[in-house]
Amino acid sequence: MATTVAQTTTPKKRSEGLAITLRAMYVPRIIVGYGAFYGALIALLVVFIYPAMSSINLGSYISSPAISGLIGGRIPNINSFGNVIALELFSSIYGLIFGGIMAYVAGAALPVNIENGMLDLALSRPISRTRYYLETTFGVFASGILMGLFILFCVWIVSLFVKNPGIDWQWAWITQLVQFAFFVFAIGIGLLIGSLVDASRTAGGVAVGIIFLGYLINIFGGISTKFDWLLKIGPFYYAPATDVFVLHQLTWWHPLVLVAAGLVCGIIGLVIFNRRDLPTV
Amino acid sequence: MKTEETAIVIDGLQKTYGKIRAVKGISMQVERGEIFGFLGPNGAGKTTTIRCMLDVIRPTAGAIRVLGLDAQRDTHALHQRIGYLPGDVRLPGEMTGRQVISYFSRLQGRQPVLLNDLVARFDVEMKRPIKGYSKGMRQKIGVVLAFMCDPDVLILDEPTSGLDPLLQKAFNELLLEEQARGKTIFMSSHIMSDVEKVCQRVAVIRGGEVVALEAVETLREKAGQRVSVEFGDLVTEDELERIPGVSMVRQHNGGYQFNVGGSMDTLIKALAQHEVVRLQAEEAPLEEVFLKFYEEPQKTAAQI
Repeated sequence: MATTVAQTTTPKKRSEGLAITLRAMYVPRIIVGYGAFYGALIALLVVFIYPAMSSINLGSYISSPAISGLIGGRIPNINSFGNVIALELFSSIYGLIFGGIMAYVAGAALPVNIENGMLDLALSRPISRTRYYLETTFGVFASGILMGLFILFCVWIVSLFVKNPGIDWQWAWITQLVQFAFFVFAIGIGLLIGSLVDASRTAGGVAVGIIFLGYLINIFGGISTKFDWLLKIGPFYYAPATDVFVLHQLTWWHPLVLVAAGLVCGIIGLVIFNRRDLPTV
Repeated sequence: MKTEETAIVIDGLQKTYGKIRAVKGISMQVERGEIFGFLGPNGAGKTTTIRCMLDVIRPTAGAIRVLGLDAQRDTHALHQRIGYLPGDVRLPGEMTGRQVISYFSRLQGRQPVLLNDLVARFDVEMKRPIKGYSKGMRQKIGVVLAFMCDPDVLILDEPTSGLDPLLQKAFNELLLEEQARGKTIFMSSHIMSDVEKVCQRVAVIRGGEVVALEAVETLREKAGQRVSVEFGDLVTEDELERIPGVSMVRQHNGGYQFNVGGSMDTLIKALAQHEVVRLQAEEAPLEEVFLKFYEEPQKTAAQI
């Protein structure tokens, strides 16, 4: 059937910006904010508790294999502010809590947009699934970087009120980079789960569960030399932040293992996200 | 004046979920500048078809072309020119209407040139968070999102759901205006009166298959006239059903009501054999024709 078509002009272009990235940073603001607040609170508390802790001789206890497994590294003693900070903030606790936050946020990042109808509307625009996924990844990672930097900043602030804090800031930055490598791993795991699961809380919860499983592997691996092999299949083995922060020791390629694992998981998640049918809300 | 190619071509579309065949092989075309209605009962495959057009889900077999572009391979170029309204408009509760509109106009990469007109026409609330919106208010936002960047093709899934009668009327006027500007509109709906008012052609899908594809005018002719008659003497339903062209006889207000297709002359001559107290004839609503497609799985369009 022949039809006549009225001439219409195409609307002017407008800048796209990184709208998806900014949204991916905005959505988890509360949980990331809680993480940042928790880190700041710990840093502040350490200022008050470390004088008492440093007077207790816990050296042999802290450096035992069992405790080393719990904290994910070796701390010879807790006689300095820096060592207490390492114990309270940069041990495996960091990976478990802050890495767990990033895993949850990454896991929920895609499904939450299925649940709230944003994904359907976004993909009906000239936005590819790859771009959507990558911008979401970037947004989640950016929020993790901001959280990590804020915590480090709080440590620096409180250290100004401590005489002889015993922190080498060059190694503190290297420690932070090691933690960021852990974030890459956690985010990769989260995105992989999120590309498979349609429910945001389930996806986030599963991702946190994997991080927690990694922590358990680290604990059992540290109990005895018979279980050394367990350590090497867990992520915490490759981010021994306390060794870096306190002992200034780092096997340089260990964090790269985490980054590679995170990237592999992220890429698999991208392939799955590109190929799957998206559910009706 | 110039002749343009077909706006939407769906060719042998199939979608299977495991053992479930949601769409069993749909083929149809929508011409440029047409308002095309897509009807069917719940679970018939309407939304599945629409989501295949948007590449949100991938067809098992078949092909879809919109504006000459492949719906699966040319999504970037295609999605610059289409507007979509989902069947259930869900939006994040913490965003305001203005934030949602700004977000999606950025993703579209186009200025929302029709925004002010749409906001005024539909009296859209922009400042409050979405979580305080009723379904109708969210639907209005959805309408704005679909139309605001002036797309060439509009794909609308139950667009008047949640809108009050005044807004439904305003929406129908918008559709006709957009059609006059050369836009193509593909809409699924359950509100048959809307379909009757604005669509040129309709397809009815049931069980994943198109069971009817006709011009609305043709369906109107098939629906015929609805006649209400009251007799002074005894007349049975069977007697009325035996009159050629008469269907759907039922008792109504002390008399009978039925549909008549074709010539009224045979009917008048048959009724004249009785004492007619009251006789009223009007155009039969298309709804009854559509409902036949919904209810009678064995019948095709030719038989209805």
